[in-house]
Amino acid sequence: MPGPDVFDAIASPVRRALLDVLAGGARSVHDLAAPFEMSRPAVSQHLRVLREAGLVAEERVGRERHYRLDARPLRAVADWTGHYERFWLRHARLLRELLEEEG
Amino acid sequence: MASIEVDEFLPRPPGRVWQALTDPALLARWLMPNDFKPVVGHAFTFRTEPVPQHGFDGIVACEVLELEPPRLMRFSWRSANLDTVVSWSLAPEGTGTRLLIAHDGFDDTDPGQRMTLGILGGGWRGHLVRRLGALLEEDAG
Repeated sequence: MPGPDVFDAIASPVRRALLDVLAGGARSVHDLAAPFEMSRPAVSQHLRVLREAGLVAEERVGRERHYRLDARPLRAVADWTGHYERFWLRHARLLRELLEEEG
Repeated sequence: MASIEVDEFLPRPPGRVWQALTDPALLARWLMPNDFKPVVGHAFTFRTEPVPQHGFDGIVACEVLELEPPRLMRFSWRSANLDTVVSWSLAPEGTGTRLLIAHDGFDDTDPGQRMTLGILGGGWRGHLVRRLGALLEEDAG
C-alpha cells in the first residue's frame, strides 16, 4: 500500500505547523511538542506521516532523535499553488498599466 | 472550498475600470484574447499559452454568472483540471478603484486541487510554501 503523499501530509494544520517550526531548523520531538497541546506520541505520529511523505528526515544527535525539514517534495506544490496567485498579480498589474496609459 | 484573493488599487474611477473589464478588446490587452460579451449566461473562452506541467491546454472555458455594473462580475473558469469561479469586485477608493480578484471553488478532486485546498484553506495562504520557496532557492544556489 502506498504511504501518505505530500498532499496528505500537508492537509493537516498540525503537520503544517510542525513544518513551519522545522523551517527554522532541526528539532527534537520534545522541542516540537512544546508549543502544541499534544502528547509526544501524538507528535511522533504526525512526524511519521511527514517522514513517509519525504518531508522530514530523522537523525541521531547523541541520545536524541532530531527531525529535519526536507523541502524538496514541496517543490511541485509550490509551483502549483503559486501559479494562480502569480497569474492574477501579474494581470492586475497589466490592467493598472493599461488604465494609466489610456487615461 | 478554497480561494485565492488578489487586490490592486487602480487610479481610475469604477466606471472606467468596468469598461476595461468588460470590453473584449481591452480585456484582451491586460488578460487574454477572448470572445467575452457582458451578458449573463454568455459562454466564452480565454486563449493563452498551454502550461503542460499543470495539464493546461491553453483554453479556459467561461460563462458569465453575474453582472452588476460597475461593482461586480462573476464568471465560471474551467480548464483541463479546474472547475472554479472568478469574481471581480470594484469599490471606489479616493479618486480610483480597489479591484478585488477572488478565484474560488478549488476542491479535492485531483492532487493539484487537493493541494490547493490544503494550502489555501484555513488561512494558511501559502505562507509556508513561500518560506520553503526561499529555502529551496538557497539549496539550489
